[in-house]
Amino acid sequence: MRLRNGVYHLMTSAVSDFKRSKIRTFLTSLGIMIGVFSVVMLIALGLGLKNYIEGQFESLGANLVIIFPGMVFSEEGGLGGNFGPGFAGGAHFKERDVSALDKVSEIDYVVPMFFKSMVLSANGEEILGYVTGTNEEMFTVSNIELLEGELFSRSDNQRRRKVAVLGYSAAQELFSDPRVALGKRVTASDQRFTVIGVAKKKGDREMDNSLFVPYRSTFGTINPDKTFFAIYLGITSKDAVETAKQRAEETLLKYYEEDDFSVTEQSEILSTINQIFTIINVILVAIGSISLLVGGIGIMNIMYATVTERTKEVGIRRAIGATQKDILLQFLTEAVTLSVMGGVLGLVLAGVMVLVVRQFFPVALNLLAVVLAFGVSSAIGIFFGVFPARRAASLPPIEAIRYE
Amino acid sequence: MIELAKVYKNYYLGEEEVAAVSDVSLKIKPKEFISIVGPSGCGKSTLMYLVGLLDTPSAGKIFVDGKDVSGLSDSELSVIRNQTVGFVFQSFNLINKFTVLENVLLPTRYTKLKLAFDPGRRAEELLNKFGIYERRNFFPNKISGGQQQRAAMVRALIMNPKVILADEPTGNLDSKTGEEILNLLERLNRDFQTTVVVVTHDAAVAKRTQRQIKMRDGRIIRS
Ligand SMILES: Nc1ncnc2c1ncn2[C@@H]1O[C@H](COP(=O)(O)OP(=O)(O)O)[C@@H](O)[C@H]1O
Ligand SMILES: [Mg+2]
Repeated sequence: MRLRNGVYHLMTSAVSDFKRSKIRTFLTSLGIMIGVFSVVMLIALGLGLKNYIEGQFESLGANLVIIFPGMVFSEEGGLGGNFGPGFAGGAHFKERDVSALDKVSEIDYVVPMFFKSMVLSANGEEILGYVTGTNEEMFTVSNIELLEGELFSRSDNQRRRKVAVLGYSAAQELFSDPRVALGKRVTASDQRFTVIGVAKKKGDREMDNSLFVPYRSTFGTINPDKTFFAIYLGITSKDAVETAKQRAEETLLKYYEEDDFSVTEQSEILSTINQIFTIINVILVAIGSISLLVGGIGIMNIMYATVTERTKEVGIRRAIGATQKDILLQFLTEAVTLSVMGGVLGLVLAGVMVLVVRQFFPVALNLLAVVLAFGVSSAIGIFFGVFPARRAASLPPIEAIRYE
Repeated sequence: MIELAKVYKNYYLGEEEVAAVSDVSLKIKPKEFISIVGPSGCGKSTLMYLVGLLDTPSAGKIFVDGKDVSGLSDSELSVIRNQTVGFVFQSFNLINKFTVLENVLLPTRYTKLKLAFDPGRRAEELLNKFGIYERRNFFPNKISGGQQQRAAMVRALIMNPKVILADEPTGNLDSKTGEEILNLLERLNRDFQTTVVVVTHDAAVAKRTQRQIKMRDGRIIRS
């Protein structure tokens, strides 16, 4: 009877113990899983965002100087003032500025850029695209080539004719085949434009979904203020860029305060964006690290509980010849396994997430993320596992074996 | 083989000092079959753990094969426990998450030297000899107490130790199963020439051994 009771008790307690530690194991690695997942995801997002922005700028032609409203990029290279139009304090560029800049001999192309997200409809289809009010030189400066038809001309602009060059993706979505778009009409905000040209695919979402029209043709319902978001300057000779920038600045200072606009080279913008995303990345990784830290503390907590629970087991192992080092390694291995398991889970989850998110937003994983997931999770396992493992190893054998 | 010279072991319960073992001098010779008897709480287990180097004396010296072990490091003591001593406990002390075979092989995992035998084969032989070969892939809590104690004995024997220390090995078993375990201990002493020390409070058990060491209040009163 005594024997039966003893075995029964051992059985039930062992079974419940096993069940409990299964859930516990999962919950414990969950902390690391979330931590690794967030760090990897954040890196993927940061990397993707950076690639995206860089791609956007690289698709523009060389020796491009952009005039933005506000103090976008300060002299020190940091981010200062306002970014983009619509923010307080920035200049709203006018046709007058374009004409003034045109007179500067060092500047070869002056391209005003009006840019507005709008519903484009044609052929019974509707898409959310963009209307880009500009001049024909924009196509040279931005390296946009035509697939079909022709560009609008200077006189089209002067006469405010409702003609347009349609971006490749927009043409494809509205007319199924970009080639049949030629001669058709596309409506944007009640204005009907005749498509006289279709652009080749550029690989840039905004450009490919744009309806490019002569800027003067937007004056009215689409662009009632007759302003531009930016002015692009194309400079043929690399050596002339610095003087051109200076002259452009001098020209605009006649109309605006120094803080109302900024004249920036593409390379400067790129390096500043690089800096900004490096900072964002560091911040994001810091946030992820906090969850990893919390996950590590979770492991330490569970390992301490495990050591107490398994005091008897430690005693048994010591009695049959396990050294302190053997016990230390046993518990350390357990902690690291727990942690790396969480790390791998987090990495896999992040991988799946990247595949899903990639449909909507450019995200990218790199080797660094994978190495980081393994490295960081094993480091956490070691760091937070070593204290409980040392406690287990330093249990006096006699006390451990007598422990009930 | 193992010798204790004026060994003391005191425990502290708060301020109060408990003398679990006092002034014990004892020689355990090869091939002996010894019992340590006495009432509960007289210090039998404490003495056994001292002999098995699981515990260290408060005073006095312990010699293993003539060598004083008081200066040995923890890992040196572990090596002696691993190779020279085999423990058998009242509550079997098998690890429940491991199968019988895994439990039995555990001491071989902690050996730093190359083994002179094939652990798997030796385990099978011993499990066979102890009649639990069929139970080798069972978890300890799925087999009977007698079978668990047999498994524990195989585990104690796997490293071919010089001495088996059994602390009330029949204490958790019914009299018939206890008898079987005692027979096995006896056979082990006879056939394997292993020294066996059995701790018991049962006079009938003690009678079957070659030498009885009687204890009272931490002291040996007859040996
Ligand atoms: N860790 C300990 N702390 C305090 N007292 C202990 C400890 N271990 C044993 N004792 C005491 O030492 C005495 C001898 O115990 P033990 O060797 O287990 O006796 P036995 O095995 O003969 O029943 C008992 O009085 C017991 O309460
Ligand atoms: Mg006892």
